[in-house]
Amino acid sequence: MATTVAPAPTRVPRQRPPGSRLKLRNTFIGWTFILPNFIGFAVLTLVPVVILFYMAFTSWNVFGSADWVGLENFRDLISDRTFHTALLNTGYYALLHIPLTLAVSLGLALLLNTKLRGVAFFRTVAFFPYITSIVAIAVVWNMLFSPESGPVNQFLMALGIDNPPGWTTSTTWAMPAVALVSTWRDMGYYMLLFLAGLQAIPGELYEAARVDGANKIQRFWNVTIPSLRPTTFFVTVMLTIGSFKVFDLILVMTDGGPGTATLVLSQYIYRKGFEEQQFGYASAVAIVLFLICITVTVVQFLVNKRRNR
Amino acid sequence: MKRTIMMSAAAVAAATLVLAGCSSGTDNDSGGDGEVTGEVTITLAGWSLSTTPEFQILADAFHEQNPNITVEVLEYDATEYDTQMIADLAAGTAPDMYVQKNLKNFVTYQDGGQLLDVSSVAAELGDDVDGVEAYTVDDVTYAIPYRQDAWYLYYNKDLFDAAGVAHPDGSWTWDDYATAAEDLAAGLSAAGSDATGTYQHGWQSVVQGFANAQADGADLLSGEWEYLVPYYERAVALQDAGAQVDFGTLTTNSLTYQSQFGTQLAAMMPMGSWYVATLLAQQASGEADTFNWGFAPAPQLDDSTTEEPVTFADPTGIGINPAVDDDVAAAAMEFLTFVGSEEAASALAEIGITPAITNDVVTETFFGIEGVPTDELSQFTFANHDVRPENPVDVNTVVLQNILGDAHTAIMSGSVSPADGIAEAMDRAAAELG
Repeated sequence: MATTVAPAPTRVPRQRPPGSRLKLRNTFIGWTFILPNFIGFAVLTLVPVVILFYMAFTSWNVFGSADWVGLENFRDLISDRTFHTALLNTGYYALLHIPLTLAVSLGLALLLNTKLRGVAFFRTVAFFPYITSIVAIAVVWNMLFSPESGPVNQFLMALGIDNPPGWTTSTTWAMPAVALVSTWRDMGYYMLLFLAGLQAIPGELYEAARVDGANKIQRFWNVTIPSLRPTTFFVTVMLTIGSFKVFDLILVMTDGGPGTATLVLSQYIYRKGFEEQQFGYASAVAIVLFLICITVTVVQFLVNKRRNR
Repeated sequence: MKRTIMMSAAAVAAATLVLAGCSSGTDNDSGGDGEVTGEVTITLAGWSLSTTPEFQILADAFHEQNPNITVEVLEYDATEYDTQMIADLAAGTAPDMYVQKNLKNFVTYQDGGQLLDVSSVAAELGDDVDGVEAYTVDDVTYAIPYRQDAWYLYYNKDLFDAAGVAHPDGSWTWDDYATAAEDLAAGLSAAGSDATGTYQHGWQSVVQGFANAQADGADLLSGEWEYLVPYYERAVALQDAGAQVDFGTLTTNSLTYQSQFGTQLAAMMPMGSWYVATLLAQQASGEADTFNWGFAPAPQLDDSTTEEPVTFADPTGIGINPAVDDDVAAAAMEFLTFVGSEEAASALAEIGITPAITNDVVTETFFGIEGVPTDELSQFTFANHDVRPENPVDVNTVVLQNILGDAHTAIMSGSVSPADGIAEAMDRAAAELG
C-alpha cells in the first residue's frame, strides 16, 4: 500500500540524507492520524459506493450472482413514469425548501445577532427542532396538519378561510407541508452557520458605510450580503445536497403519499431496492441522484469562483 | 500522497469485491431425511417475542414431544422482518428455520434458493391443513403453514343495541354493511354517542384484499383492476357520509385500529382474525373497554357465497434455511411435521390464534378461551370460510402491490375519484410490466 513512500530508505540504507528518517517518521505519523477515519470511510462508504457503480449495470435480487445487463437499467429509467414523478417531486421539494430555508435561517440569524435580552435563550430555542427526533416531529406535525381537527386548519378557519388546505392528505398541499416542516427543522442549524458568518464581519465595514451615509437596508445589501458570501455558498451547497437526498422526513410523514404526490428519489431507491428486491435498478436510480447532486454542486462552485474574481 | 490514497482505496475496493465474490454460492444440498440422534438445537426466527408468543409455544410443545431437540427462537424486528432476514440469508448468518411472515416476499426466498424442499413433510400432512398450496411452486413445497388467518367483521353488540340496529346475521353483502354503517352512525349520534358506524383501517388490504378475493374475474397479477372501483366507491361514500373516520384524520392522527374498536369508538370493524387474541389481551389488561362483541363473516359481494363466505389472508408458514447441516435439517423437518399437526393447532388455538387446521377439536379449544364470544355466528365464522391468499406468489406481486398502495392513499384521501385512481394505477402497472 505504502510503496510510493517506502522505497527511498530501503534502497539507500547507509547514505541516508540527514532528515529523511524524520521525514519518514512524520509521514508515518501522518498516516496513523488519518488511518482510523480513512478505514472507516473506506469500508463503510467508499467501497459500497464503488460497488454501487457496478451494481447499476446488473440485475440482482440479493441472492445468487448479479447478472451483467449493461445499460438496460438506465434505458428502463427513461420510460419509467414513477421515476419521472419522483424526479420532479424531488426538484419541486428542493425548489420550495432551499430558498425558504435560506431566507428563514438568514432572517433568524440577523435577528439573533442583535443585542437582544435573552438572545442566548432564543438561539437555543431555534436550534431545538434540529436535535429533535425526526419521527416525533413527523407525528406531531401530522397532527397539527390534520385537516379536520388540526390546530393549523382551525386557526386558518378562525381567520376566515373557509376551505383550508388538506395538507398531508392532499396531493396539492402535501409537498408544501413537508417542505414547511423540513424548513422548520433545518432553520436552526443553518441559522448557526449564518450567525458565525455574521460575527466574522469586521465592524469597521459597517462603520465606514455609516460614515458614507448608508442606511440600514443599504448596509445590509452592500456590506452584510457580500461579506457573508462564503457562508452563503457553503449553506447553499449543503442545503441543495440535503434537499435532493431528503428521505427520513418524507418516509415517516407521508410515506410518499397521497398517491405519489411526495414520492422522492431516495424513497424510490429504497422501494425498488429493499421492498421490491431490484438492487440493480435501485443502484441505477442512485447514480442518477448522485449525478444530479454532483452537477448542481459543480455549477455552484463555478458560479462562486467567478464571483470571487 | 494523493496518489497513494487513491491506490490504497482501489486496493481495498478490489479486495472487498474479491471477498464478496467468495462468500456467496457455497450452498450444498442437504438431504435431511435421516433420523435425529443425540441432542440437537435448532434455531427459528420470530418477531416481537414478548407480544407474539406463538413461536415459543410451538417450540415448547415440540420439545415436550421430542426432548432431544430444542428449538431456540431468535428475535427479529416486526416491521423490518423481511429486510433483516434477507440480509442475514445473504450473509449466511440466518437461523436454521424462518417464518414466512406473509406471501409477498415468499417468492424472493423461494426464487432465490433460500428455502429447502419440504415436500416430504407436506405429503404427510392431513387434508385439513389450509394454505399449503400457497407455498407450493411446480409441485415442490417450500414451507409448512401453522397459522391461517382470515378477515372477519368484528362488531360491538352493545353499540348495535344502543343504536337500535339489528346484529349481523351472517348473510350480509357489502351493501348491507354500508346501510348498517349509516344506520349505526345515525342511531349512535341520536343516542348521544361519539362512536362511528364502522372503522376501516388505513391499509390497502381493507379494501383491496376483499375485492381481490371476492370480485368476479379478480386477478391482481393481470393489472386489470376495474373490479376495485365499486369497492372504493363504497368506502369513499361511507367516509363522506360520516359513517367512518375519514382517511386524512386516520393518517394524520396515527389512529390505531385496536383503540378504535377496543375503546368503543366504532361499532364495526373489518379486521383479521389475529385481532381476537389482541382484543382479549387488551380487555384483560384494561387497555380496551369491556363490552359485548362478536365476529361475523366478512360481507360478501352478493348472497351467493354466504354458505361459505369468501374472505382473504395470507397463511403464515415456516421454512428451512438450505444452508443447514443434515442433522439440523432432519430435526427441522420433524419440527415442521409437528407444526402441521393437530396438537400444534390446538396449542395455538389456546392462545386465540387461528391455526392452519380448523377442525372440530381446534374450534372447541378456541371457543374454550375465557372471554371469546361463543355465539353461534362467531363459531360459524371461525369454522366456515373460503380464505383466499392476499398475495399471489409471483415476482411482480410486490411491484403491483406498491402501485396499488399508492392508488389506495390517493383515492381514500379524496385526491382522485376511484375510477381515475384505478385507471392511473392500471397505466402504471402496464408500464412496469412492459
